[in-house]
Amino acid sequence: MTTTIAPAPARAAIDSFIHTTGSWVASQLDACTRCGICAEACHFYEATGNPEFAPVWKVELLRRAYEQRFTLTGRAKLMLGLDKPVTDEDISHWSPIVYEACTLCNKCAMVCPMGIQLGPLIHDVREAMAEAEIIPADLVEAVRKQEEIGSPLGVTDDAWVDRIEWIADEWEVEIPIDVKGSDTMVAFTSIELMKFPENIVAIAKILNAAGEKWTISTPGREVVNFGVFEGNPDRVKLFMARLLDSAKELGVKRLVVTECGHAYDLLRWTAPNMVEMPCEVTHIVAVIDELIKAKRITLRPGAFDEGGTITFHDACKIQRRGGHIEEPRNILKLLAPTSFKELDRCREESVCCGGGGGVIAIKEADPLRYKVFELKIRQMEEVGATRVAMTCANCRLQFTESLQHFGSPVKAVGLSHLVAEALVEE
Amino acid sequence: MGSTDATLVFARGPLFYTALMIFIVGMAYRLVSVLLLGWKRDRVPNKGSKLRGVAVTYAKGLLIFPFIPWVKKTFRGNQTTYLAGGMFHFGLFVVIFLGTAHMLVWKSLLGFGWPTLALPIVDFLSAAAIVAMIALFVNRLANPVLRLISGPSEWLNLLIVFLPMVTGYGLTHHRLLGIVALPYENLYIMHMMSINLMLIWIPFSRISHFMFYFFSRTYHGAQAGKRAVMP
Repeated sequence: MTTTIAPAPARAAIDSFIHTTGSWVASQLDACTRCGICAEACHFYEATGNPEFAPVWKVELLRRAYEQRFTLTGRAKLMLGLDKPVTDEDISHWSPIVYEACTLCNKCAMVCPMGIQLGPLIHDVREAMAEAEIIPADLVEAVRKQEEIGSPLGVTDDAWVDRIEWIADEWEVEIPIDVKGSDTMVAFTSIELMKFPENIVAIAKILNAAGEKWTISTPGREVVNFGVFEGNPDRVKLFMARLLDSAKELGVKRLVVTECGHAYDLLRWTAPNMVEMPCEVTHIVAVIDELIKAKRITLRPGAFDEGGTITFHDACKIQRRGGHIEEPRNILKLLAPTSFKELDRCREESVCCGGGGGVIAIKEADPLRYKVFELKIRQMEEVGATRVAMTCANCRLQFTESLQHFGSPVKAVGLSHLVAEALVEE
Repeated sequence: MGSTDATLVFARGPLFYTALMIFIVGMAYRLVSVLLLGWKRDRVPNKGSKLRGVAVTYAKGLLIFPFIPWVKKTFRGNQTTYLAGGMFHFGLFVVIFLGTAHMLVWKSLLGFGWPTLALPIVDFLSAAAIVAMIALFVNRLANPVLRLISGPSEWLNLLIVFLPMVTGYGLTHHRLLGIVALPYENLYIMHMMSINLMLIWIPFSRISHFMFYFFSRTYHGAQAGKRAVMP
């Protein structure tokens, strides 16, 4: 009898699959009936019709590894040649499928008749890819920048300080830095810092108007976590520690994540299972809603009713996965009671922007990303939107760039920005 | 007394009980082997109620979607799977639990019986379930995603569930079909043999999804519930 030892990438991936397989993964994989309904939920499949983009197919290697290691049928099928092993070629073949044609938006879980959590399972597949080191080059580069420089966009410590000072001067807004004993620590993304500085201004204005004791942190300056996109748990923890250690150091009661979807999902819904949390974690949209309800800020009702239909794009990690579905609607109903219209598929069933999960950072994925965005354009056309609000800077980057690519007149705006514009000074 | 009678006695007697035991032991083995892999504790603070999420997801999954699938927007892209899948499961459950002949089998196994539905209703639903299975088969052949994700076991599963259903349907209509079809006893043997085959096959196949359904649904409901979103 000859024993075949799987060569390096496949071996590493299989080890990772086996390592991540607990009762949770096993029961999910065993519940699957291979009905294919998940394909219809996937925006990548809907936009391209490529059957390989079906979520169930994205977890194919995990299924093989699980069945062939842990089940009698799986072992028998492999021996009889009725199922394929996981090979090096498979790893290379599936890598772009899970990194470039999946935003981990988890909409598939919402339509699965069995309720299988495909998003987290696909994330497990990414972890295996990361172990096998078969990762898109652009993602590797972004991870390296975040590890060495402190930001995936390559913003250095000095550049960050300069930029914050410039923003504070230019818009004449106070931005407290490293203030110990504050109640709230706010963590922004590099995207906001470099591409949407008005968002930082807006959030600063809102918190100042409410008289909130808040601060940003120099060591905890980057909320984005490229370790999540890559699927490397060690780097996830490393990047997260920069934030959580700062929050602990500053002695804050809560950490507010701004417009960053996956960082919110990670810090709010995953981190407590990985590390000790120094404080509670919430999202800026929940804070704003809370400030309005507590009458700590006053907004001009109907401030954005003029100027055509305004709609809302649900971010997968802040709304569907994050739980903040009502808050942005409360705010929009106040700001645009007559011109606010929902998209056809919204809330938990929202169609992802196509740029999440690190996809926007991967150059090769651009054509696919634009193709998927056509769905979003069609949705916005259906309601005749002239403006689309959202609570995720990554979505907004995808919107801004893709709207420009297609020459669409629709304007993508941050919800915080609208709130800041409607503030009534007291 | 011919060999046919002896075969029938064997098929619905010792062989059936053996198959049933293999089914029960096999499913228990599957359950235990999954449970032994270990669960991690969830230490994440809730935003909503996990229990509510679980209750809502079962209510939706069992009471709403099978009967009014068009409330789901993905229904548009996958009508055959939704309608035929729903029809198949509904018909199957009615036949197995509310068909008089099957209730009597349950009664002999459990010691108690229950009221059943009139034959024409059960008969209609079993025919509908058979038609649904054929539709699902054609759909699996035609849909590119389903073709891609179907291995030998998916095709076998369809066949192994299909056989008891057609032979059972044949039994109720034997008088009508008897002229051209097999003698009643032979058909009965085929029905029992296909059921025995199915019982032995289930623990080793994805037909066992009916057990893991309760894991994935509960987990899904809890995940949505704790985030305060609709599962």
